[in-house]
Amino acid sequence: MRFDEKIKSLVKEAELYRSQGLLNEALDTYKKMQVLIESTQNVKNKETLLKKISNKVDALYHQMEEELSDIKPPEVSKDEQDAIENLIPKDDPEAKGSPEMAAALSLAKTGQFDQAIEKFTQLLSQDSLRFDAAKNIVWCWIQQKEVEKALGRVKQWMVGNVLSLDEVNGVRAYFEALVKELGLDAQISTVNIQKKLEPESEVEDQDILDINSTRFKLLRGSRKGEEVELEISFQAGKYLKMLVPKRDRQLIESVNVGDRFNGMQFYSPMAIFSGTGYVSSKVTISAGPKKGDYSLEIKILNIQT
Amino acid sequence: MAVLNAKNREIQCKIVYYGPGRSGKTTNLEFIHKNYTKQVAGKMISIDTHGDRTLFFDFLPLGLGKIKGCDIKAQLYTVPGQVQYRSTRELVLKGVDGIVFVADSLKVRREKNMLSLKDMHENLKKIGIDIRKIPLVFQYNKRDLEKQGFPLMPFEKMDHELNRQLRVPSFNASALTGESVGKTLSGIMKLTLQNLQKEFQWAQNR
Repeated sequence: MRFDEKIKSLVKEAELYRSQGLLNEALDTYKKMQVLIESTQNVKNKETLLKKISNKVDALYHQMEEELSDIKPPEVSKDEQDAIENLIPKDDPEAKGSPEMAAALSLAKTGQFDQAIEKFTQLLSQDSLRFDAAKNIVWCWIQQKEVEKALGRVKQWMVGNVLSLDEVNGVRAYFEALVKELGLDAQISTVNIQKKLEPESEVEDQDILDINSTRFKLLRGSRKGEEVELEISFQAGKYLKMLVPKRDRQLIESVNVGDRFNGMQFYSPMAIFSGTGYVSSKVTISAGPKKGDYSLEIKILNIQT
Repeated sequence: MAVLNAKNREIQCKIVYYGPGRSGKTTNLEFIHKNYTKQVAGKMISIDTHGDRTLFFDFLPLGLGKIKGCDIKAQLYTVPGQVQYRSTRELVLKGVDGIVFVADSLKVRREKNMLSLKDMHENLKKIGIDIRKIPLVFQYNKRDLEKQGFPLMPFEKMDHELNRQLRVPSFNASALTGESVGKTLSGIMKLTLQNLQKEFQWAQNR
């Protein structure tokens, strides 16, 4: 092939690659032309040709730089959001059979963090999804490098009633691991996140008698003000564990971690006494014959003599 | 994973167009959207394209009529081809029922095709899908460029390099002109429905 035909063919090829967005391939072809022109003697307008190619190469580098620059997730329309929400099927293990969780995860993984956080927040009311929803809220904030906002949320849960003690500890550990992994831990060095979760008890374990059952007044919900009596299934000093059957959902929804019951009655075989109790944990039993029932833990803070 | 609604006798399946960046996945969906208007069951959604690059995915719902009394609905998706969007590709692949691998026939894209196929293999493995078991077809795209004198790989060579072990149906195509776009879609739908029929035994219930 004659020199000028060869150059024409290479120009055509490079332009095709560029038009197809194949920038590396276009660049390689222009560089091939540069070498060919430089190594060929008696080329007419050699300098002008090389200058033109050099301009093309610069433009390609500029375009490549633009393409590699950080692109923020886009704002999406309602239709687009619907399409995103269907990306993860509800039978995906991560979604735990919940279409709402699947939708929230899909939004989170495509960078639609605000919408995802909104959906995860709604899922905090579902016992089986609460822990994962909370972790994902933290994940969404961290992905946006909003460490303070993530921390704010964790702190909220530490003092509030939304998560059980175990759950809040789990979320806190997850948050700490995540910030460390992303090298963002320096940002939280001044924040004390080892905040005490439970109020101190004024009584020693050995001072508490074996308790058979306890009676307290519900503080919220449709049964607010009603007195309920629950049998103690396990006692470890000042910590009392009770089982609440899943059919008694109204009761369990009326009790939250962090609730404080003044004037609680404690029934032991030897005496009845009263005091203040603090709800330290509320979890759904996930295995065994009592699966689906709830385990409620109350810490005795003081005894009135 | 396909959804079988036994009450309404409806099957909904997910088809993903996979392949290297700029191989013509979006162009396939655009052609279907424009030319198969009877089958198109909703808007084509292209999320976050930067210039003409797909950074997230495209989505096109289709209604493909009835087979043995069941309404067949397909949701077509594309993945972002650029290397850096691996996590999005993995996400789009979740619940996939059939895959069209759109390879670029340009000689210079030979290696990119192979890398993308490897990437697909790995992503499928991650979500517990065996590449040899999922319905899959190859589409060797941009054949129209041959007429313009551009260096393309011959069909046989592409098939040997990409499809030697998998031995699935493969098609020469041009998504830009529409050549074999329909054939590719029919090819993957046929395999997918055969697979679903085995899975659900739905066709025999009639």
